[in-house]
Amino acid sequence: MKRVVGGLIVALVVVLLLFPSAVLTPPSHSQGVDVFLNVTQGGSKKLGIAIPEFTRVGGADEGNFGHVIPEIIGNDLRFSALFAVVANDPPLPRDGDPLRQRFTELAAAGAHAAMQGFLAVTGQRVTVDFRLYDLTNPEFRLIASKSFWAEPLRHHRGLAHRIADEIVYQFTGERGIAETKIAYVTRSGQNKEIAMMDYDGFNQVVLTNLQSISISPVWSPVDSSVAFTSFFKGYPYLFRLYPFNPRRQQPELLSAWPGINSAAAWSPDGRSVAITLSKDGNPEIYALQVGTLTFRRLTNNRAIDTDPTWSPTGREIAFSSDRMGAPQIWVMDAEGANPRRLTTGNYDTQPRWSPRGDTIVFTRRTAGGFDLWAIAPDGGKERPLTQGQGSNESASWAPNGRHIVFSSSRSGRPQLYTMLMDGSEQQPLTRDRGEASSPTWSPRPQ
Amino acid sequence: MSGRVWQLTSTVVVLLTAAVLLTGCPKKPATTAGTGPGGAGTSAGGTTGGGPGAGGAGGGAGAGGLGSGSIGSGPGGTLGGGGGAGGVGGGAGAGGPGAAGPGVAGATGTTIPALPSPKDFVETSALRDVHFDFDKYEIRAQDKPVLDENVQWLKQNAGAQLLIEGHADERGTNEYNLALGERRAKATRDHLVSLGVDGGRITVISYGEERPLCTERTEACWAQNRRAHFLVKQ
Repeated sequence: MKRVVGGLIVALVVVLLLFPSAVLTPPSHSQGVDVFLNVTQGGSKKLGIAIPEFTRVGGADEGNFGHVIPEIIGNDLRFSALFAVVANDPPLPRDGDPLRQRFTELAAAGAHAAMQGFLAVTGQRVTVDFRLYDLTNPEFRLIASKSFWAEPLRHHRGLAHRIADEIVYQFTGERGIAETKIAYVTRSGQNKEIAMMDYDGFNQVVLTNLQSISISPVWSPVDSSVAFTSFFKGYPYLFRLYPFNPRRQQPELLSAWPGINSAAAWSPDGRSVAITLSKDGNPEIYALQVGTLTFRRLTNNRAIDTDPTWSPTGREIAFSSDRMGAPQIWVMDAEGANPRRLTTGNYDTQPRWSPRGDTIVFTRRTAGGFDLWAIAPDGGKERPLTQGQGSNESASWAPNGRHIVFSSSRSGRPQLYTMLMDGSEQQPLTRDRGEASSPTWSPRPQ
Repeated sequence: MSGRVWQLTSTVVVLLTAAVLLTGCPKKPATTAGTGPGGAGTSAGGTTGGGPGAGGAGGGAGAGGLGSGSIGSGPGGTLGGGGGAGGVGGGAGAGGPGAAGPGVAGATGTTIPALPSPKDFVETSALRDVHFDFDKYEIRAQDKPVLDENVQWLKQNAGAQLLIEGHADERGTNEYNLALGERRAKATRDHLVSLGVDGGRITVISYGEERPLCTERTEACWAQNRRAHFLVKQ
């Protein structure tokens, strides 16, 4: 549902690839939100927005936040691919004719909207009052006016991300993803540890010090935990971590069957983990009910079955299986019935079902290495997303279903990259000295 | 403190492997105990009210982040927001709601033998590796004489326990390679058993592509890494 207010709307139909829900779903708390950025499929026009420096209204800005925070916001909005950030200007005049004069100039430079920010630093707290204006309206109508703060000061990046997500919400009705995290595997000598960073690559922190091999991290959709497989007790067992809970810093055991306990995938409701176990002979997929600790076997044949991924409805599971001779992508009902083959490549693994439901991304062996491909769940629209640049693997969807993070060896060592779901705008996320791989994109904070 | 806090109050049946695994998690709210070796899993009181999320504004180290209203990964961080000009800084931060910590997922009542620690096994020059084709786990004809020799050694050293490691090369994806290494280790075990070795002497483990012997990106190197490797415990 689109809430149309005043005379704003019509001029700014920014048509972008992948935001159908912006017009189909009412905002969860729609009070006062004017959705006038109609983001639907099929086009590419971006909304021009000016994010000038902030005006300091209190305290000494020793961290130069008046410049840094709008810069971060601008980067977030560019990354969203919904906005074109028009200019990084000096602070706007406070009000009156000087402000209107600047708005006129910004509109002439291509800005459809502008943000005005007032910055106050008091002790360890940084506060930003900001206003959003519609520059396509002759009156330069005020769209929104909000205040956010962060404490201590070093959390200013989080503050900027929150403001960026608020701007995305104001214009689309759907929350942005700038406040999300990405967990991944970082190599340390012969070992692999689980690490985490902001979605834009900042604030990297290594979460484990198990001095072992830990792989395949995956965020729970509901409780801010990360499940992963680790050898630190000898065999590959499944554990989970709570990165934000200081009282639960030790990995907690989820599954310790003899053999492998690997390739975990959370169900959309967070109650079950689909997992590969070899306890009954060869690698098969099981569903573990986390609350009751009961298992249900979903596959049963002599081949390797692994890499489960749930559809967003929870009704189906895609997985990889070499039952026809080489690993390919299959889909089955969530109870294990009705398996059917989706792809016919000679090495297709790691299916990852989009949060929007209409696409499954997977890793395919090609002549040049390994590439990410996409296919519709009905088998249509099969197409490559990466092409011939080293090994591209381990895709993970952003919660908005528009962005993908993955690992690539295109620059030599494996590092993390992001792209839009059509394969465009591929860009490096990490440039670490070591290796970064197996990313998992967190849900939005709740 | 919003969000769901899972209250699990279930009795779980725990594998004996759990007993080993659970040590080293000192503050875990929900530890349950396992049984002795070879026994059926015992039931132990499983537990827990889940720990609530990291708490409130300025939760301890690591608080913040995805918790509502709180950001950042350092101690004491909070970020708030409020609607309207001059709005109040609203968000008292809360970490993610804690799920309950069931001690372990295990078999319910199934008897599962204790696995010896891989660290107890040592390298030996007496047993040679066997190798595999890309994405295959069949024993190759040229490797069968190698296994014949290994069987002779095993018959002469009847007290030796065997650990078979299954490995893959770096190509392909980590999770699939972990499954592939498992198949290679088990194919090797099954071949030894078919030649008269007691399967009870053999433990298998897959390292997938995670423990390469050779790190160059050449076919010669990859071929070395696609292997089943033998360690022994006397």
